[in-house]
Amino acid sequence: MHDFLGWIQTSGLGHFMRESGPWTYAIVNLFHILGVGSLFGAVVILDLRLLGAWPRTPLAPLADAAASVAACGFGLAATSGVALLATKATEYAGNPFIYIKFPAIAVGLINAWMLHLSPAWQARRRRELSRQEHRHLAWAGGTSLACWLTAITAGRMIAYW
Amino acid sequence: MQEAARRGRGVFDGFALVMAMFCLSLPASAHHGWGGYLDATTEISGTVESPVSLAGPHATMKIRADGQVWDVVLAPPARTEKAGLNEGIIPIGAQVTVHGNRHRDPKKFEIKTTRLTWNGRVFNVYPDRG
Repeated sequence: MHDFLGWIQTSGLGHFMRESGPWTYAIVNLFHILGVGSLFGAVVILDLRLLGAWPRTPLAPLADAAASVAACGFGLAATSGVALLATKATEYAGNPFIYIKFPAIAVGLINAWMLHLSPAWQARRRRELSRQEHRHLAWAGGTSLACWLTAITAGRMIAYW
Repeated sequence: MQEAARRGRGVFDGFALVMAMFCLSLPASAHHGWGGYLDATTEISGTVESPVSLAGPHATMKIRADGQVWDVVLAPPARTEKAGLNEGIIPIGAQVTVHGNRHRDPKKFEIKTTRLTWNGRVFNVYPDRG
């Protein structure tokens, strides 16, 4: 871990973050917040729908819109996040919250990928889902909420350690 | 349908409750802001161990005083620069005095700095806080 942090800190990205003026970190931080906000905003709506909220709202169009926004938000958050980390990466080596945040992100991504591959998700536009399939989607939605809430909480706490 | 709507409502209320509890339980201690630092001010004199860096959420430097290395947290980069405290003006090894508020955790050698003095020059990075 420490090797990786040292490598990213001395990379071109690390140099750029430290040497391109006093506003760089603040602006990249803004993009990180926009990314996290888009990801979590979309995920909350999708996950609560999967858990059974707003049963009269059709799942397929809502899922398509929310999943696109969540994916774009994740891309923005991950890209800007790597840059923020590179600024002074080695200072995070002893921070316990990074060991909560990154595994939570990993589990969240695996969960999203497994949801994407599941028969229930694949069939959402074509037919009514069975009770069991709804239950499966609800589990994925609950797991997703837990993962992203954990990742965001730990991420915020990094700054207060 | 009605039962499903009620169930949906229950999930939503549960989520709102969890979020409210989560927000209330956030610790008041802070790296950003002053909550994590003592109200009383402290003054520390030492030598520059690592020079002023304007990178990250706050400008920082490290000084050595009585054999202990202190993390000196300054204002955000733009504000620190505005106070005239740029990177590269204070050399490593220079004698400086920092005035500010110590971290509440006595095991943490960190001072949130309002004023730094070097070579007769005073840098008021938080002029309104004295």
